[in-house]
Amino acid sequence: MNFPTGAGTDHCKRMKLLPMELILGEVPWIVVLIILPLTGGMACFLFPTISKSLGLLTSLAVISCVWGLGWQLEEDGAQRYAIGGWGAPLGIDLYADGLSLVMVAVAALVGLGISVYSSSYFRRDKANHFWPLWLFLCGALNALFLSSDIFNLYVTLELLGLTAVALVALADGSEALTSAMRYLLINLMGSLFYLLGVAFLYHSFGSLDIAILAQRVEPSPAVWAAVGLISAGLLLKTALFPMHFWLPAAHASAPAPVSALLSALVVKASFYILLRMWLEIFPIVGISFAQLLGLLGSAAVLWGGIQALRQTRLKLLVAYSTVSQLGYLFLAFPLGMSIAWKGALYMLLSHAVAKAAMFMAAGNILAAGGHDRIADLSSITQRLPLTLTAFSLAGISIMGLPPSGGFIAKWLLLEASIQSGQWWWGAILLLGGLLAAAYVFRVVSHVFTQAEATHEAREVPARMEWTALVLALVVIFLGVFASWPLAMMEIGSPFGGGS
Amino acid sequence: MDRNRWLLPLLLMLFVGLGYAVLSIPEPVEGLPKMLVDNMELGGVSNPVTAVLLNFRGYDTLLEMGVLLVALLGVWSLGGMPDYHESSPGLVLDIMSRQLVPVLIIVAGYLLWVGADAPGGAFQAGALLGAAGVLLLLCGWRIGNKCSGLPLRILIVLGLGMFVMAGTGLLLIEGEFLQYPPPVASELILIIEAAATLSIGTTLAAMFLGSRPGEADK
Repeated sequence: MNFPTGAGTDHCKRMKLLPMELILGEVPWIVVLIILPLTGGMACFLFPTISKSLGLLTSLAVISCVWGLGWQLEEDGAQRYAIGGWGAPLGIDLYADGLSLVMVAVAALVGLGISVYSSSYFRRDKANHFWPLWLFLCGALNALFLSSDIFNLYVTLELLGLTAVALVALADGSEALTSAMRYLLINLMGSLFYLLGVAFLYHSFGSLDIAILAQRVEPSPAVWAAVGLISAGLLLKTALFPMHFWLPAAHASAPAPVSALLSALVVKASFYILLRMWLEIFPIVGISFAQLLGLLGSAAVLWGGIQALRQTRLKLLVAYSTVSQLGYLFLAFPLGMSIAWKGALYMLLSHAVAKAAMFMAAGNILAAGGHDRIADLSSITQRLPLTLTAFSLAGISIMGLPPSGGFIAKWLLLEASIQSGQWWWGAILLLGGLLAAAYVFRVVSHVFTQAEATHEAREVPARMEWTALVLALVVIFLGVFASWPLAMMEIGSPFGGGS
Repeated sequence: MDRNRWLLPLLLMLFVGLGYAVLSIPEPVEGLPKMLVDNMELGGVSNPVTAVLLNFRGYDTLLEMGVLLVALLGVWSLGGMPDYHESSPGLVLDIMSRQLVPVLIIVAGYLLWVGADAPGGAFQAGALLGAAGVLLLLCGWRIGNKCSGLPLRILIVLGLGMFVMAGTGLLLIEGEFLQYPPPVASELILIIEAAATLSIGTTLAAMFLGSRPGEADK
């Protein structure tokens, strides 16, 4: 089963292309996207003295590779790449369509922001550990988004989980170590659930490739067990209510750029696998399970919002806001139509960028004042106007106000809920938006109260402030130029035809 | 105690459900093993396990080498335990390690070689090398300062590095990532496995060390 790779298999077409386009078309960007960060990580490990420049360079290169892959997909549609030339089911296939492209693109974009932010954030000794781990995490994310093999997905989950745990443990203090340890155990448990489900599927249908499984799968007790196990494992990793208990501690105690990448990217990776399985393999499981996921999602939206309101520390507030926003992603399951999936994916996209900006802003405040107690924020934030702007702009998207990516996402979900006649999911969207407005304004209001500057605030590098602001601006752009990302999702029609 | 009250029924339900699923499972589908046998002469080695691990699903193994490296990075980033100083190991341990370490190294080499057509291979050989390393460390042996920097790190990334280099090289020559040309497949697999064995052994022993060598001395 050898599929043509890249553009230009047609000779006549090749002759007409410019040399530049020939290179773009011939290079298998899908492989380069995985190999490049891994190589960068190894280089950072070998030469710690230049790891910062290597890391930044790799992040930039990954962005251009995503651009190359996007160009190929736009020309030729969805792409399948047989590693080693064997092809599924004997070998492992990589697969890229609009869904993978959006995930890889958001990982690359937020990744570049995290790299720039981290280049000023970490001290020398921590930076030596940070850069190789971060680049390996980046490689694991790309490998995960581009894989089409359920066992290979397990391996990428392991790589992702281990790097994430090690990065959480980079923060000093026993609190970080405890939450890293708990995070490790949760990760391992989630992976084992997933692996057991994979074993059931492989035993029953003799293949690990998602596309082949999609053709062969038929209802049986083993498949039900597999669906349950895989979903349980992935929901645990995605921290859907009530399995979110590990997330606030782990995300709040990590160093700021690590919190940003955990909330923005790592939890989304397991959601992506669930979404992929749901779209391809699980359509047989029927409507009741989708309703359950929607219910849990709604509970997450409300519970996360209420908990965020009750927090006294800024980073914990932002972490609970992640619990709440992850709930929105699951509202698409009971709606189950193309426009709902697009809404959920748009929510994922804009939440990734907005939450990265928010955690970076929180990190700046923590770095300037030495604490992040919400009640005492006023004396610090008045000296960080850029950071405050970033926090507020990101907050607009979290609330779902126009013009922002969060608004577009909620609009699509709302439209789906009305079209399918299930208006109650739309009510959850509005309630969640109100709660988000309450906790964002709770932070912002403390800034406009006059307060004496009690102690000297430390200087925050300009690069850290600007990175947060630029990411926050990207979310606003996502609200203004929505047609382009939406067209990107269409490639290879991962959500099926129709509206 | 309150928590246990609902935990036990939950676990029992899970157990019964999984048990039912396992008992009701149909006969395994035979398609893939047959396909594997049909392709064995292209695989370069006659041991099916090695052929799957290093050739047909070599990409999984490549990422697994990454997992191993990341595990070590994680251990090193924790700052490590206090470095214990060289101590005399005691007569029994001393004599035993002198006998055992050379044997372990030879057996590791044998397992690596025999992996091509019998049970064995890089992971088993690497585990033995790692055991030899741990035994040496227990006897108070420490890696010399000259080798604890870049040379040690090169040895640790060698496995993943060789895999990636081979894959990229083949991508440039053959046109597909990790596509071994059948005539030289066995040699390529042996080279990658040898590099992986060294890396696995070093990584396992280095994990036992706790922290990045040279850092704890400061």
